Order: sequence, then structure tokens, then C-alpha cells
Amino acid sequence: MNAASTPAIEVAGLVKRFGAVTALDGLDLRVEQGQVMGFLGPNGSGKSTTIRILLGIARADAGAARLLGGDPWREAVELHRRIAYVPGDVNLWPNLTGGQAIDILSRLRGGVDRTRRDELVERFDLDPGKKARTYSKGNRQKVALVAALASDAELLILDEPTSGLDPLMEGVFTDVVRELAHQGRSVLLSSHIFAEVEKLCDSVTIIRAGRTVEAGTLADLRHLHRTSVSVVLPGGAGTLARRADLHDLAVDGERVSFTVDDAELGGVLADLAARSPRSLVSTPPSLEELFLRHYGVELPATDDAAGAAVASKASAS
Amino acid sequence: MTALAPAPSRPTPATPGHTPPVAAFTAFPDLTRFVLRRNWLRLAIWVIVLVGMVAMVYESQRVAFPTQESRDAYAAVANTPAVAALTGLPYGAGTLGGILNIKIWMTLAVSIGFASIFLLTRNGRAEEENGRTELIRAGAVGHHAYSLANQLVVGGLSVAIGLLIGLTCIGLGLPAEGSLAMGASIAGVGIAFLGIAALAGQLTSTSRAANSLASIVLGVSYLVRAIADVQAEGDTPSPLSWASPIGWAQNMRSFGENVWWPLLLLVGLGIGGCLVAGVIESRRDVGAGVLPDRPGPARATGSLASVLGLAVRLERGPMIGWLLGGLAGGLFYGGVASAMSDLLDSGNAYAKAFMGQADSVLDGIVGLFVMATAMVAAAFAVQSATSVRLEEASGRLEPQLAGAVSRTRWALTHYLVAAGWGIVILVASGLVFGLAFAASQSDPDQVPRILAASTAYIPSLLVLVGVTVLLTGWLPHQAILVSWIVYGASVIIAMFGPLFSLPDEVIDATPLAATPRVPGVELQAMPLVVLSLVALAFWALGLLRFRARDLTQA
Repeated sequence: MNAASTPAIEVAGLVKRFGAVTALDGLDLRVEQGQVMGFLGPNGSGKSTTIRILLGIARADAGAARLLGGDPWREAVELHRRIAYVPGDVNLWPNLTGGQAIDILSRLRGGVDRTRRDELVERFDLDPGKKARTYSKGNRQKVALVAALASDAELLILDEPTSGLDPLMEGVFTDVVRELAHQGRSVLLSSHIFAEVEKLCDSVTIIRAGRTVEAGTLADLRHLHRTSVSVVLPGGAGTLARRADLHDLAVDGERVSFTVDDAELGGVLADLAARSPRSLVSTPPSLEELFLRHYGVELPATDDAAGAAVASKASAS
Repeated sequence: MTALAPAPSRPTPATPGHTPPVAAFTAFPDLTRFVLRRNWLRLAIWVIVLVGMVAMVYESQRVAFPTQESRDAYAAVANTPAVAALTGLPYGAGTLGGILNIKIWMTLAVSIGFASIFLLTRNGRAEEENGRTELIRAGAVGHHAYSLANQLVVGGLSVAIGLLIGLTCIGLGLPAEGSLAMGASIAGVGIAFLGIAALAGQLTSTSRAANSLASIVLGVSYLVRAIADVQAEGDTPSPLSWASPIGWAQNMRSFGENVWWPLLLLVGLGIGGCLVAGVIESRRDVGAGVLPDRPGPARATGSLASVLGLAVRLERGPMIGWLLGGLAGGLFYGGVASAMSDLLDSGNAYAKAFMGQADSVLDGIVGLFVMATAMVAAAFAVQSATSVRLEEASGRLEPQLAGAVSRTRWALTHYLVAAGWGIVILVASGLVFGLAFAASQSDPDQVPRILAASTAYIPSLLVLVGVTVLLTGWLPHQAILVSWIVYGASVIIAMFGPLFSLPDEVIDATPLAATPRVPGVELQAMPLVVLSLVALAFWALGLLRFRARDLTQA
């Protein structure tokens, strides 16, 4: 068995219906071992449903899902020893303390590393002796985070794990996940916080209405999209406005801004240089822009992720 | 990790399949300990109360019937339709064991049935509903491990209570086989309703619906065997008795013939229910019921978007359900009242315990039945009034109060819906009762008489709701539990207080028993005025405190 060649998560054509509602409509998702994958999509796009199928607590109606090479439903018990999960909305037993809840959840995974647990309780500034009914949402979230991050799991499945955390604790979370990623653990991070995903993830999968619309490394995705350029030209835009390869052109006196495909960037920069710009700022598309582009325009229906990426580029050009 | 199959080149389709038996129960021992740890106090209370009741009632009966002559005299008159209907067909009333059976068996059976239902739902569907099962199942936990741990603990409670009842009876000097049969029949009812609760928890998707569904089955089982016991020939119940799980357990005839085989039916229903529940569980998603949720309207109508509108909408299901239950009860009682009184010996001193102070047997039975409809109406009212605490405990109250709504007005609206609809149920079932009874007697004057008897319970219903109002104000964390304890104690004392040889002052201090049992006795104003004043005080004190204290979530 070659563990390195087995993807941590491999999902193809996943379909899930709830009555008349189709929650997943042929979703694809692949996370390699050691990869930190951002999982993005608007509310109701099917992120949590996908995660519930991967956890073996919901069943797919069609399609394939493999978790660490195993069947998430049939081999749930064996697989769950090797993964850890944090939900976005943690509900705890009101009469048990946070510390008790951490130990129960850890034990059900298969044991707890006390040193590691105590270290994380310390780092997340959690009082483990308080009854769960007195915890705020953020503190309940910390309980699930400590239980998951203290484990020796090969794969972490995190569903909006930082909802309710303050920025300080978000920072602690980012640090801990980075450490785990350095140790070669795989992570699936579903999140709405773009800064968090950009900091942590090497790749992202963007889904919409139960389908994958974009998947790849962040660097690749940025190349597929246009760079924003804003420049101050003493002579104004002039003949620049006639270039066909500039998009979203806006001129305000000497200030000119536009977007340009990466492939055309060299030609455009040469043109600009001849106009002696006083200042020039070029920014690659942010994850937020990538994300919003998918939801700002109507996309044609596509069958697979690669097709979606190409199609989105085509429609954007 | 040796158990893992080699990685296939292509992912295999996620087709439904059966979980290997070992993996399905992984972590079962850990989860069993966990369920015990969460519930040990509740379990201990059930054991102490139910087993303690046996010892207490035995002692009171030993004092009440000290000689064989006194027991023989009782046996000659014990078999009355009212006793048969409420506490089961009497038999063997010439022995202390038989008398113990008559006095306490049905209370134990119904109580253990509810214990199974509420405990199983609390650790089953309720856990799933609030998302904690998902957290547990994300661990290395078999599909059925949590459910099985829950079922084992709740089943273990029945076995423990049954064994302890048997041993207690033997210790008190009763015949060994009868003692064990009594314990086993009680345990059997607990196990049978464990199976029913397990099924209800799979069919519904909320804990409230699961509890309601299983409780309805328990109520129907009680009613079916009541009809069978009333239609008995001698001390053999009608065959209808076999249509009810409680009837199966009665047919074990502890301290009588001690028939053991019906225990197989009871245990079979329990295990069968759990097995079918397990099959359903392995085919569905965590959190889902069997029936998918249907979409509802995208907008709230103007009337719904108000405090009153929301209160009524949230209670709509129970309001309709309890009203139908009350009407069915009224119809049933009205139809059988005179038939029952024909069977009853008016000189029977023990029947008097149930009849209150009525001079005529028929009036006594009518009074008893009217009280039974009042119990149904009050049960709705108490359940509905606890919604105030439920809304607070779940955190749903805070966003409502963040609107321009006063706390007092919000709470009062909910309490008025509870009390108001309780009164509607009371009066409507009294009216149906009166119409059915008048028809059977060919006497239209019975309608206003019975209606008057029903309305006399309005103050006591307001007191029972007032208990919830008071507790919600002062003891929010215990409010729901204690409300039901008070309600249950009021019902048991009003029904069986005289049988338990409780002093009259104690009996009359409870709200249902304090109400004059019209038409058997005069409608006196004094008790009703006192009850109304008590209700007013409870409501006022409870609301004042609710306005002044901090809101606390569960």
C-alpha cells in the first residue's frame, strides 16, 4: 500500500438530494496527502453536505467518495481514527465541563495526548474547568478545536472552524494549522474568511450550487485571471484607451486603472513605460476577487473542474 | 491500519451497503459509560421512586388489611369497573400480593413506560437534533454504538427496577414467584416501550415529536387495556387485552397464576423495536428523520409576525392534538359512564374511594370522568406553558426580546395561550361528554350539568399553569421537570389518594382534588375562590420574578 500516492480526499461526481432539493449536483474534490485545501462556496452551496458525506454520517445518492483511500461510510470507524473534525457550530453537553468534553471527544477518536492537549488549552486561553453551558460560542468552538488539533490525525476536516473566535485566537489557530501542515498532515478547510484561506492553503476548490466551478493551486488560479494595474500617467490615458487588451478601464485625469490578462501584461507594460508613468501599482487578483467573479456572473453549466476553469477564463476574456 | 483495503485506482461508487458487525459497535463500552455518567442521577431517581413506592404501598396495605378476614372482605368487593378501568382488572384480592398489585402495579407500569420513552429520547433523538451526535460520530465510533449504548442503559434501568421490585417483595415476605413475576412484568413494560421509543426516535426528526409519538402509543395501550379490563368476564379480561403491551404484562398475573410466557412478547417488542430502529439508522443520514421536511411559506403573514401569532403557531400541533384527544376522551366517557354504573355495586365501600363523596354511583363515575378530562386539558396547558422556559433555554427568546416587546407581555401572551386553549379543551370535552351522556340517558338536562362540572376545573387548571409560571420565574433550570412532577403528583393523588390512605387534608390541598366533583357533590364557591386566588398569586409572583431576573440559557 503506497500511502503517498493515495489522495487524502477523492470525490467525483457526488450527488445528494434532500427530497426535491439537490444539494450536491456532481461535485468533485481532490485533496492530496500533505495538501492544505481551501473549500469555498457561498452559503447553501453544499460544503457541509460534502463534509458530512466524507464523515460517513450522510450517504451520497450517486458518485464516489474516498477518504484516505477508504469508503467513508463502510470504513467510518477505521478512518475516523486517522482524521479529526471541527464543525462550525459546536453544541456541547451543558452539564459537562469543556475539559471533560475535550477528553470524551479525543477518547472516541482513540486516545488523547495529555501534554499536547494541555499545551493547546493554554494557547487557546480556554478555561477547561467551566461547565459548557457557561461558554460563549467562541469558547465552545475552542473545545472542538483543541480536541481536533491535539490529535495525531493524518487529515483534518475543518468546517468554518474559526466562526466566533476573536482575531487573536484566529491567529493562534492559523499558527497551529501551519505547524500541522509542516508535519505533512492534510487539511480540508471550509471557510468564508479569505485572508485565513490565503494564509493557510496552497490550493482552493470553489463550489457553487453543488458543483465544483474552480479548483487548483492559488498561484495557478491567479494566473487564470487578470491582474489589476493602476498607474499615474502625466499625459493622461491618450491612445491607451484604444488598446483592445485592457479591461475595466477607468480614467480620472492622470490616474488610469484597468485589468489585463497575464498573457498580455508584457506588451502593456512596454506601452506604459514609453509614457513615463509617475507611479505604477500592479496587484494579482485576490482570492476574494476570484471568488466574487464566480458569483457575479452567470456561468455556463460544466461537467468537470478543468472544464469549469477553462470556461470561466473564456467567459471572463 | 491493516484493516484498510488497498487503494483502488478509481474511487468506488458510494453505494449503500451493510456495515460489518464489529465496526458498527466500535466505542460501545466508552459510550455506555458516557451515557451512564450523563444520566446517573435520573436513573437513580427512577429506581428509588418506583421501588420505594412498592415498599410504601405494601406497608400501607398491610396495615389496612391486617387479617385474612379483612382481605377476604375486600376481595368480595374489589372487582369494580372503575378499578378495572383505571388500575387494571383485579384478581387475587384476598392476598396481600394481589392487593399490592391492584394498588400499585398500573402506576408502576405506566411510569416505567414513560421513563423508557423520555430517557431514550433524551439520549437519542435529542442528541441528534442538537448536533452532538454528529460530533460523536466523527470519532472512531460505530454507526450503532451510541444508539446501542443508550438502549442498553435504558433497558438496564428496566431490568434493575424489575429485579429490585421482585427482591423487595420477597424481602417483605411475599411469595417468591409472584414477587419475581411482578418485577418481571414491570421490567417487561419498560423494555417494550424502549422498543417503541427507539422506533419513534427514528421516524421523527425532533425530540419533542419522538416523545409525543411514543407517549401516544403508551396512552393508546393504556386505553385499550382499560376497555378490555372493563369488558372482563369474572377475572378474565376480554381478548382485546392482548392488543396492548400493558395488557400483555397484566396477563402475566403476578401473585395470581404467574404466567411467564407473555414476558417473551414484551422483550420481543423491545428487542424487535431496537432492531428495526437499527436498520432504519443504518439507512439514513445523521440528523434526518424518515419523512423529509417539506418546504413552507417564504413569508410570515401579518398575524404570525406578532407575539400572539408566533405563540399560537409554535403550539399549533399540540393544540390540535390535545383537543382531539380531549374530545375523544369525552365521547368515550359519555358513552360508557352509565354502562359502568350499572355494573357497580352501590354498597361497595371501596368503590367510594374513586367516587368521591357522591351519593349516587352514576354521579360519582361522571365526576371521576370529568376529572379525567380536566387532567387532559391541564396536561396540555402545562406542556404549553413550559414553552416559555424552552424558548428561554434554547436562546430563541433573546432575539425576540431584542425587538420592541416587553418581557412581561411576551411571557403573559404565551401563558394565556396555554391556559386559554386548556380551557377550550376542558369545556369542549365537557360538552362532548355531556352530549354523549345525555344521548345515552335520553336526558338533555345532563348537558348543562356536565358542562358545569367541567368548568369547575378552570381554577385548578389555572393553578397548575400557575405552578409553571412561578417555577419559570424562580427556578428556571428546574422549572420544566418540577412542573411535571407537581402535575403528576396532583393527578396521582386526586385519582388514587384515598386508595393510598392519604389524609384528606393532603388530598384536598392538591389542585385537582380540591375542585368539587360536580355533579356528585354540590358546587361550592369557596374552594374555587381559594384556587383562583392561589392561581392569581402564582401568576403574579412568577411574572414579577421573570421580569426582574437575568435570562439564562440551558
